[in-house]
Amino acid sequence: MQETVIDAHNLSKIYDEKTIPVYALNKVHLHISRGEFTAIKGPSGSGKTTLLNMIGGLDIPSEGFVEINGTNITKLKGNELIDFRLNNIGFVFQSYNLIPVLTAKENIEFIMLLQKRPKKEMEQRVQELLKEIGLEDKINKRPRELSGGQQQRVAVARALAPKPQFILADEPTANLDSVSAENLLNIMLKLNQEENMTFVFSTHDQRVINRARRVITLEDGKIVADTAPTAVIHEQTEIK
Amino acid sequence: MLTKIASRNIWRSKKRSLTIITAVSIGLWAGIFMMAFYNGMIEQRVNTAITSELSHIQLHHPEFRKEYEIKYYLPKGRKTLEIIDKDSKIKAASGRIIIKGMIASASGSSGITINGVMPAEEQKLTNLKGKIIKGNYFNPQKTNEIILSEKLRKKLKLNLNKKTILTFQDKEGNLASAAFRITALYKTTNTPYDDSNVFVKITDIDSLAGIPNAINEIAVLLQSNKLLDESQTHLKQKFPGTEIKNWREIAPELGLTVSVGDQMVFIFMGIILLALAFGIVNTMMMAVLERTREIGMLLALGMNKFKIFMMILLETFFLILAGCPFGIMLAFASIGITQKTGIDFSRFSDVYSSFGYSSIIYPNLTSRQFVIIMLLVLLTALFSALFPARRALQLNPAESLKK
Repeated sequence: MQETVIDAHNLSKIYDEKTIPVYALNKVHLHISRGEFTAIKGPSGSGKTTLLNMIGGLDIPSEGFVEINGTNITKLKGNELIDFRLNNIGFVFQSYNLIPVLTAKENIEFIMLLQKRPKKEMEQRVQELLKEIGLEDKINKRPRELSGGQQQRVAVARALAPKPQFILADEPTANLDSVSAENLLNIMLKLNQEENMTFVFSTHDQRVINRARRVITLEDGKIVADTAPTAVIHEQTEIK
Repeated sequence: MLTKIASRNIWRSKKRSLTIITAVSIGLWAGIFMMAFYNGMIEQRVNTAITSELSHIQLHHPEFRKEYEIKYYLPKGRKTLEIIDKDSKIKAASGRIIIKGMIASASGSSGITINGVMPAEEQKLTNLKGKIIKGNYFNPQKTNEIILSEKLRKKLKLNLNKKTILTFQDKEGNLASAAFRITALYKTTNTPYDDSNVFVKITDIDSLAGIPNAINEIAVLLQSNKLLDESQTHLKQKFPGTEIKNWREIAPELGLTVSVGDQMVFIFMGIILLALAFGIVNTMMMAVLERTREIGMLLALGMNKFKIFMMILLETFFLILAGCPFGIMLAFASIGITQKTGIDFSRFSDVYSSFGYSSIIYPNLTSRQFVIIMLLVLLTALFSALFPARRALQLNPAESLKK
């Protein structure tokens, strides 16, 4: 039996609870196991980002709770929750969101520095990831000197660096051209396979959906489908 | 890492940061210079009062200063003076006869303090000779010479070498008067002092006052003001039964000027720094609001609130500290130059001298004041960082990331 990493129970997010309640999420149940490569799709306003924020402990559900590796993160407050995120969850955001004043290397090191990892271990991990994402020659470049695709690759490396329990990526390819998006997907799939890293995406992008092993469809805050697209099944064997 | 991010962040908006750095430099320069100016002004006043008027320590009969009656002289005054003179901590000492009396001319009269002085000793003590603007210092061969101020001369419509009459009560309470010839006119930076002090030789007045060879005041100038407490205690032990007061006790208003002046300069500095703080708060607030998304991202990634607070605090510190060296250098340069040349307010010399201040100010800053300024600057940085940091800490990562 596969180990459950994310366990969301009866998750709801209701806005304007006292007047006319608007359900951004409506009683969502979700279990994600270690090593999954899951895409959450749905039209705008369907609750993809809200679900990701709940799983990532960035937002508090109105009802229900989220367990990460058995820890109910909904009960965690303030710095306790921030520390939990630091040590367990990797984030990749839509608009790259690198720290603009740090170089590619420093951005990748950032979370490990917050975790106070030994310098030697950090150096080794950064080199490993830079090689993995193919940006060894951009080590000292700041985000403004990198292309959108390169920035997003650094963001993925940063999320992966501390070896979190899973990575949440909110529309990671939304601002990328097709070549960059393809490159990024390949890197993420490779890391998923090689490091058994769990990835959960929210996406509109059919390219991501096609490569996902599991696709969850949200509509009006509810899960309406949870499938593995046939297109992906045979593709998994030939990851570039 | 926090230091690196904070130091690089201040250069993200170069123009804005440079504006604040310039404001900090100018503010700091103005504050330090103002402090040095006031300090110099007060120090000069105190030094002038000590070296020209009061000396560091004065010895009297315990009853003398109550009514300034001549009968309360120092019984062993001259012997005491001899002993004091041998002390290595003492730069100069002189005996005086101080009499409250009246000076009169054909045109009028005025209440004055008659200072019966020992010419050679007084010269070492108060440099009376150096303050003479017209005429000659006491001639040992002549008697009944008087030195009065230019201001008093004008008031009484007198001239050099003319005679004037001094009237006072002698030891027995009888009126005594004598004619004195004006040998010199003096001028100090203290108009009220000039208005009310005349100098005669002690030997010309002691017999007239009924206390031949006696003195009723010994003024002592120390090698340094730092020796004040020690020397005063020592003299008190050595001459019990004699009233021994230091300059702060003799002229409490002068001591008050020093402490009030000290407080005033810090109030000025505080106002300058407060104005600066508002500018810095505004800049940092803008920086935080512009970076809402970035701060949200940092919170999401796991940077805890203390670190976010420290990042904003460090940014504010760096912004202020970047302005400090230039402001300090500018201040030290201006203090250094004006310490040598002085700042000339001769145009307003009447106003300054009526309060006992010199019209040429030599700014001076003590190391204690500099340390306090730097502490105030650090406090300003902390104060300026509080509001923007608080704003940053209130951010919700999910909401911030949408912006």
